[in-house]
Amino acid sequence: MNNPNQDVKITITLPTNAYFISGIRDFTLNMVKSTTNFEERWAYRFQSVIDELCNNAIEYGSAPGSDIRVTFYYKKDDYLKISVEDTGTGKNKINAAGLQKLFDGRKAPGYAFTGIRGRGLVKIVGEWSDELKFEDRPEGGLKISTTKYIKDARKKDEGLSQNQATPTSIPSIKLNI
Amino acid sequence: MTDVRITIEDTSAGTNKNMRIIHIGGQLDESNVDEKIQEIYKLLEANPQNLFLIFDLENLEYMNSKSIGYLTDIYGKITEGGGKVTLAKARPNIADILQVVGLTQLIQSFDSIEAAKAALSS
Repeated sequence: MNNPNQDVKITITLPTNAYFISGIRDFTLNMVKSTTNFEERWAYRFQSVIDELCNNAIEYGSAPGSDIRVTFYYKKDDYLKISVEDTGTGKNKINAAGLQKLFDGRKAPGYAFTGIRGRGLVKIVGEWSDELKFEDRPEGGLKISTTKYIKDARKKDEGLSQNQATPTSIPSIKLNI
Repeated sequence: MTDVRITIEDTSAGTNKNMRIIHIGGQLDESNVDEKIQEIYKLLEANPQNLFLIFDLENLEYMNSKSIGYLTDIYGKITEGGGKVTLAKARPNIADILQVVGLTQLIQSFDSIEAAKAALSS
């Protein structure tokens, strides 16, 4: 029997095809609801965060035929960290410093989003993260990690019920899709 | 491709407006939005002036940032042509994402189709 007090780490590798992202969204929604103590609205928010990060990785970071890797790390009653890694073989050869600069530029007050694209990383991932980190992978490509602390989520959800289902323990899982 | 359904209902009868309700159900995401959104752009091409649109989001389960980018673009085109756009019946998760990207500051959102219609008719 699993220990419900253990931290949880889940790694999923998936092909660079937008078709698979709806499955990751469903997984995220169910995992956050059943495994963490975040309020339900955060399950939907993480779903959007993961969707935006995966879409960026598929569109810009990893070439067709390669993979992206998604890792969920839940520190019980403390935080959820989600990382998305690409292979750097995609059409956009930006490094971590370049992406940070682009992010900061778009986050600046008064920046006008005029095109169809460009809102996801700043307006969704950025707004719903307590910490956002861009790193170059030693083997090539980018790793983007977002961390959300439960106490901050609850503070923002003031007034909502804090009763949650008992966490389910999944110590470490790796999936390949 | 993720399942999404877009249907367009002509509700001009009984009003003095060229009014349509766009019913969107399912999930609008990277796998389908570029193709499915063209149905709305075709409507815009056929009605470049004074089009009044209500987006009925009651059955919309998910939308990504690109879908919101398209909504913003459609809003710009319609208002340039003298028309108006409103949103109606968005689920809490959809209302949440529309708010975080700032779209609800641009486009009015209502709890019912009737309220949205009344806003467009005024």
